[in-house]
Amino acid sequence: MPDNILTLLFAVLVFPGGLFALAFGLILRGLDRRAVARMQRRVGPPLIQPFIDILKLMGKRTMVPEGSNTFVFLWAPVVAVAAMAVAAAMIPIAGFYRPSADLGDMLVLLYLVTVPAVVLMLAGSASGSPFGAIGFSREMAIMLAYEGPLLLAVVAVAMVAGHHLGQPIALSLADIVAVQRQQGAFILDPMLWPALLAYLSFIPANLGFSPFDIPEAESEVLEGPLLEYSGPALGLLKLASALKSVVVIGLGIALFCPIGPSGGAGLLVWALQCAVVTVCGVSLAKAALGRMRIDQAVLFYLKWPELLGIAGLVLAVANL
Amino acid sequence: MGFMQKVFRRSPWLYRINAGSCNGCDVELATTACIPRYDVERLGCQYCGSPKHADIVLITGPLTARVKDKVLRLWEEIPDPKVTVAVGICPISGGVFRDGLPIEGPLDRWLPIDVNVQGCPPRPQAIIEGIAKAIEVWSDRQ
Amino acid sequence: MSFLKVLVKNIVAGPSTVAYPFGEPETPAAYRGRVAFDAGACTGCRMCEYVCPAGAIRFDERDDGLHFAVWHNSCANCGHCAHYCPTKAIRLTNDWHMAHLQSEKYALADHAVVPRARCTRCGADIGYGTDAIVRHAYRGVARQTEHLARLCPDCRRAASIKGASL
Repeated sequence: MPDNILTLLFAVLVFPGGLFALAFGLILRGLDRRAVARMQRRVGPPLIQPFIDILKLMGKRTMVPEGSNTFVFLWAPVVAVAAMAVAAAMIPIAGFYRPSADLGDMLVLLYLVTVPAVVLMLAGSASGSPFGAIGFSREMAIMLAYEGPLLLAVVAVAMVAGHHLGQPIALSLADIVAVQRQQGAFILDPMLWPALLAYLSFIPANLGFSPFDIPEAESEVLEGPLLEYSGPALGLLKLASALKSVVVIGLGIALFCPIGPSGGAGLLVWALQCAVVTVCGVSLAKAALGRMRIDQAVLFYLKWPELLGIAGLVLAVANL
Repeated sequence: MGFMQKVFRRSPWLYRINAGSCNGCDVELATTACIPRYDVERLGCQYCGSPKHADIVLITGPLTARVKDKVLRLWEEIPDPKVTVAVGICPISGGVFRDGLPIEGPLDRWLPIDVNVQGCPPRPQAIIEGIAKAIEVWSDRQ
Repeated sequence: MSFLKVLVKNIVAGPSTVAYPFGEPETPAAYRGRVAFDAGACTGCRMCEYVCPAGAIRFDERDDGLHFAVWHNSCANCGHCAHYCPTKAIRLTNDWHMAHLQSEKYALADHAVVPRARCTRCGADIGYGTDAIVRHAYRGVARQTEHLARLCPDCRRAASIKGASL
């Protein structure tokens, strides 16, 4: 079935993974920087600033520190970008793109979403720098804390969707989107609001944005795992994080609010939704809140989002 | 001007080194970056935490004996081509600390400086002026 | 949640960034910037050299007069020189455009020569900046004795005795 392979390759490399997600993620990043600047009464950089930064980094040279594991150090960013490109191809765009089932179901996606964090840990420890090691331990701690709310929120949605489909649990994102387009978006169902809140609170930590940018805090641990990176390798890590913002925000929209009309307008509505989530969910917190300490952040996640996630799951199950 | 040169001009990342400064210039650097009135981000600048990400390095302070080796080592870590800017009169000439016992400066005895920003401390606009000059130097080096 | 109100207000109010470097900067008139020196008003007292904390001002006595030099790269713009100058020959302008390339580092200096004053009658050397001293110190002098101010001590004695005998 070479046809299918070509379609899959196109999905991963060009649309909606790969190039499209890269460009869109960088635009979202630029939008975020500009929104934060406006909230702080600054002018801010142009929207295409992230593109310029990435291009510049690609034009510089990569330095490999002494005492590092060169293989892991140089290949970890590539793995992160590859994982995120595949993950982006698995995100459905309501009314416009339905991911092929051959790519894998939501479990694969959930594993892929954790890959950049793991890569950051690997990169931090492979660089042989003590700051990288601190970044490693912080990333590990906060990852353990935010994975809980994510899984609880996703499982709650999957169970509700599965109920509508007559299965115990719906593990295909395409099915979840299809259910919502028949029954109405889950964002309108008050029983799923706790799960929605849990998911929203998971976004900034996963994307490494303030107030949860603790592993990459530039003033405390000198950007932690990124400390020893320079040039194209750093550019790839930045690309991976731009891709990740598309994946995480796109996953949230697919889970709760896939309302776009069919055709090209669906893509437009989806992009608009992504922009709104970026500005309201990420930029607002970035502009308003300072960085938490690692213990505060972990406790915060183990307390509120975790509770919300459990409440969301219980409500969803009780309501079936 | 080539395409890459245009790209490089619009994305200079800044890194700060404090070579025994009284913190006056550091406060002005923070002011330049952080307060809305003087927004260096609109030039595409970004303060980075790691010397390996930096393109333009801003050095403050008269280079005291205690930090000399550390400053030189940190400066070596910044990948070429880099542009070094001396901010304030201390790194340029020693300023009021000139000929002091623990002063190893002025800085250009040890490092090639490209742009000097006079002032004690320089006002944020003067720092922006210096950064603009440094960007010119930097794009010529590509 | 009051911070949300602040953020929304900020968005509505728009950026408060000054136009510089893309437009003209504004500078307060009283800003302490580049040192300016007026050789014609200097009395050669060298007080500015004495009070300068950074040693940016240097005087050099030569045959053709008193050579003044200020190296702006050492000047802390503290304003001591202007404060202590009796005739306000040295002052701080509000010019701050002094960022420069390394090649111009030692060119960022100002030089001036304070000429020696000569006795208007015999041509003897009577120090520096006599006009400035006259303007500053002999402000309320009668017109009849004003011509004595530009004479050397010997000529002045002679002139005043002559004046008394008349």
